[in-house]
Amino acid sequence: MTGERSAAARAVGATKVYGSGAAEVRAIDDVTIAFDAGRFTAIMGPSGAGKSTLMHCVAGLDTLSSGQVFVGDVELGSLSDRQLTVLRRERIGFVFQSFNLLPALDAEENITLPLTLAGTRPDRAWIDAVVTTVGLGDRLSHRPAELSGGQRQRVAVARALASRPQIIFADEPTGNLDSRTGAEILTFLREAVDELGQTIVMVTHDPVAAAYADAAVFLADGRVRDRVEGPTARTVLDRMSAFEAETMGRSR
Amino acid sequence: MTRIALKGLWARRRRLVGSFAAVFLGVAFLAGALVLGDTMNASIGRFFGQAYAGTDASVRGATNVSDAPTGERGTIDAGVVDRVRRVPGVATAEPVISGSGQLLGRDGRAIAVLGPRTAGNWLTDPRLNPYHVVQGRAPRADDEVVVNRATAIKGRLRVGDLTAVLTPQRVPVRVVGIARFGDEDGFGGTSFTAFTLAGARRYVARTPDRVSGVSVRAASGVSQGELVRRLRGVLPAGTEAVTGRALSREGMNAVTKGFLTMFRAFLLAFAGIALLVGTLGIHNTFAITVAQRSRESALLRAVGASRRQVLASVITEALVLGLTASVAGVFGGLGFAALLEEVFTAMGAALPVGGLVVTTVTVAVAVAAGVVVTLLSCLLPAVRASRTPPVAALRETEAERPGVSRGRAVGGGALTAAGVALLAGSVAAGDSMAAAGAGAVACVAGMVVLGPVAARPAGALLGVPLRGVTGALARRSTAREPRRVAGAATALMVGIGVVTLLTVLAASARTSVRDTVARSFGGDLVITTGSSIGGGFDPRLAGDVARLPQVRAAAGLGTGGARIDGRAVRVAYADPAALARMLDLGSAASLAPGRLAVSRTVARAHGWRTGTPLTVLFADGARRTLTVGGTYEPGGPAGDYLMPRADWLAHDPQPQDTTVLIALRPGVGTTEGERAVTTAARPYAAPDVRTRADYVEAQASGVNSLLTLVYVMLALAIVIALLGIANTLSLSVHERARELGLLRAVGATRGQIRSMIRGESLIVAVFGTAGGLGIGLLPGWALARAATGGTFAVPAGRLVVIAVIGALAGVLAALRPARRAGRMDILRAVAE
Repeated sequence: MTGERSAAARAVGATKVYGSGAAEVRAIDDVTIAFDAGRFTAIMGPSGAGKSTLMHCVAGLDTLSSGQVFVGDVELGSLSDRQLTVLRRERIGFVFQSFNLLPALDAEENITLPLTLAGTRPDRAWIDAVVTTVGLGDRLSHRPAELSGGQRQRVAVARALASRPQIIFADEPTGNLDSRTGAEILTFLREAVDELGQTIVMVTHDPVAAAYADAAVFLADGRVRDRVEGPTARTVLDRMSAFEAETMGRSR
Repeated sequence: MTRIALKGLWARRRRLVGSFAAVFLGVAFLAGALVLGDTMNASIGRFFGQAYAGTDASVRGATNVSDAPTGERGTIDAGVVDRVRRVPGVATAEPVISGSGQLLGRDGRAIAVLGPRTAGNWLTDPRLNPYHVVQGRAPRADDEVVVNRATAIKGRLRVGDLTAVLTPQRVPVRVVGIARFGDEDGFGGTSFTAFTLAGARRYVARTPDRVSGVSVRAASGVSQGELVRRLRGVLPAGTEAVTGRALSREGMNAVTKGFLTMFRAFLLAFAGIALLVGTLGIHNTFAITVAQRSRESALLRAVGASRRQVLASVITEALVLGLTASVAGVFGGLGFAALLEEVFTAMGAALPVGGLVVTTVTVAVAVAAGVVVTLLSCLLPAVRASRTPPVAALRETEAERPGVSRGRAVGGGALTAAGVALLAGSVAAGDSMAAAGAGAVACVAGMVVLGPVAARPAGALLGVPLRGVTGALARRSTAREPRRVAGAATALMVGIGVVTLLTVLAASARTSVRDTVARSFGGDLVITTGSSIGGGFDPRLAGDVARLPQVRAAAGLGTGGARIDGRAVRVAYADPAALARMLDLGSAASLAPGRLAVSRTVARAHGWRTGTPLTVLFADGARRTLTVGGTYEPGGPAGDYLMPRADWLAHDPQPQDTTVLIALRPGVGTTEGERAVTTAARPYAAPDVRTRADYVEAQASGVNSLLTLVYVMLALAIVIALLGIANTLSLSVHERARELGLLRAVGATRGQIRSMIRGESLIVAVFGTAGGLGIGLLPGWALARAATGGTFAVPAGRLVVIAVIGALAGVLAALRPARRAGRMDILRAVAE
């Protein structure tokens, strides 16, 4: 079981049910998946496939109806709200699609926010390295309102990296950006994996974005349907078309 | 459009709870004050109607030495009674004797009712007598009395009990009957002890040939007016006749014009403050909700709504809110009036109150005030909403956060500076009240305008003691919203400001009185009447005390009403030589008979000098000319006018002392002296014996009981301000849902979130409190000096308490919003 031991996070039989009776919706249904340490994994799938739910559950933002989630070797279901909060703060980084930053804080304060919340001193050399990597050196004292969308997202990536988390979850990080700035952000994420050894899980529905990842996992109707190693935009797009055809065929 | 507005209102109803509560409380207070006033008015009317129901006319002394028709009058010749009886159309005429009479209770101590303690004769015609015996019988012998029920209950007296009445001489009596006044146990807080006519003549009037007046009942067919006309024909000079109706009107007016008007003004002033504080809070709420809805407004404009329609929708919302809250407030006011009634009764003010009287005027005024206040508070935000350009709907921007304009800084600064200059000028120019008042108004207005300008730096500064990351975040959030912070803080600022101002004024007045009394009074002990209104004790007490071996000197002091140069004034009478041994009387120390001493204040005001002749009209109708024989320091126990005792006694059949000043022999300790004097005073129903320090303190503390009432009222204003802060915070939490969710996602604990919101609230509250202390202290400085003639005292302890209460208000206000913020669902916040 060496594969499992090197997983940064994993889900076992994870199921999330919303509503009950006739209105019951299984957002994710018996999902078992491991996210390998030091790799960049993309979670793909059409709208409503359960991508975000899976991510939220693995990241400790949401709780499962049944099944287990581990970050490292910690089982999240047994944690109190406070322990979950501390876990998020210390071992998980987040990049959201939008509204990633606190408007009252400047860029640098936003980057070090998780550390400040934990009451730990930031490692200056590491922060400088991160800031240099994402290319924000001259923008550190700016407020979010004074930054462009791309710059804001770079600050968000830097924040996610600042605490050297075990794993970073990115939820459609390029969803609100044009393709050029989107490509920049994805490059940073790629570099974080290659050069800093970071583990990243990214939810996206964009095949081009998925092509930056080491592996792409395909979700449909709350289940893992396929996994592609070394995806390219082409292979991802083909898979997705195949799934859609299959889904439509089934529903017919 | 109205429908859209109403739908919007309904959708946002939770956010409007705070505004609703603010309007509700303000209107409830206003309605409560009005209802209580009307209720008291009505019951007072009923009281006097009852008192004079069977009296068709009253004959009395024509001289009135007070400005109220019900005031002190001298006695008239008893022969008038027979003259009246002979007038055709008179069915019954009974002499009335009334005077002061302190009844002693079962324990031998004075029964301390809240009103005057009176004694007189029991009228035998039940229709002339407003009292009726409910237990026992009417008095038959000179030493038998009927007592009103409330007094009997308070003194634990029953029919058959032996006790005494001080008139002020001690008269042993037997209680033979308990009486009620109409449907009540007494006439307000007045105690009434009724002798037979002979008994009253012997003990109260102390002469067979003088009476206080004559009550007359007309034969059937003779109107009150006609009766009075006929009586006038036979009355000697110095007496007058009035109808029963006029009498009851006079009595009513005396209460309503005096006490009730003040009482009403007092309550209405606080209702005004409550509404003002409420307005500030509502304004802030509207400003925030309107800003939050700017995209919605813009969308309405984009799909074709006119500016007027957007304006109308906001105004409709305010109208509905104002109207529902005001109507609810009127009902709340009824409860409030009932509660106030209880509070005042519990605090010892006996108010004659029956069922609550609710007039159309009350309802109209209260509802109108509530609606107008709500409309006014939403006017600016409504106009701002209507100005939202349609294109704003398409922008991905947050609710706009307008900065603070330069004009505000300059205007507010100028106003404040002008106010401070006026205040300083007032003090420099010998404490001018006009300048101090104008300065105070300018100062307050200036500081309210400056609020948002000061909020950012003040918030940053005040936030410094807040620890850790949550403190820093709280500081940032407040700095980001200077206008909201100032808006929420202003309400608290006004509330705290008024409290501070009154506290400073009261402390200054206290200090001023204390200083004056302490400076002028050199004795060791003082006997006072304690709680008795208009009562006193036997003047022989001063003599008894003076004869004690421990006592070096004792001087009694009495007071009464007289007209000097046409003005109704209170005159103190004493033996000037004895008085001067303990009281600094200045040039009045050797006041000769036939002369009058006046305080320097009065002398300066009227331009009187030693030797100025003054006409004095006594209650018995006598007019004498007394010359000014000296002047003394004002503010002491002698008041403003002092007359030799002998000159006063000639015109007062029932003299009483209200104060005895005592100096002990050297070597006699205060405790020893106090014990001896207390023993000597025991036969006089044990009036209060106080040490010099106690007496000085007691003279000064008259201000305090009023202040307590003021604090109770103002607590409401603080509660409303607190609601405002809580509301602003709730809205801000709602608005920042995503921000809070993000904070939680990246690792803030619930505790950290709560602590951040509490920090914000604390900054707002401390900012408001500090501003309030400022607007209380600065104008208080000039106003107190102007009011007391140069005294300004800062009651540090009380101010610290006020500051702590202000800060606590902040913590309290944050309770609910902080809890909600802590519970914020992370997913909903970040995944919206």
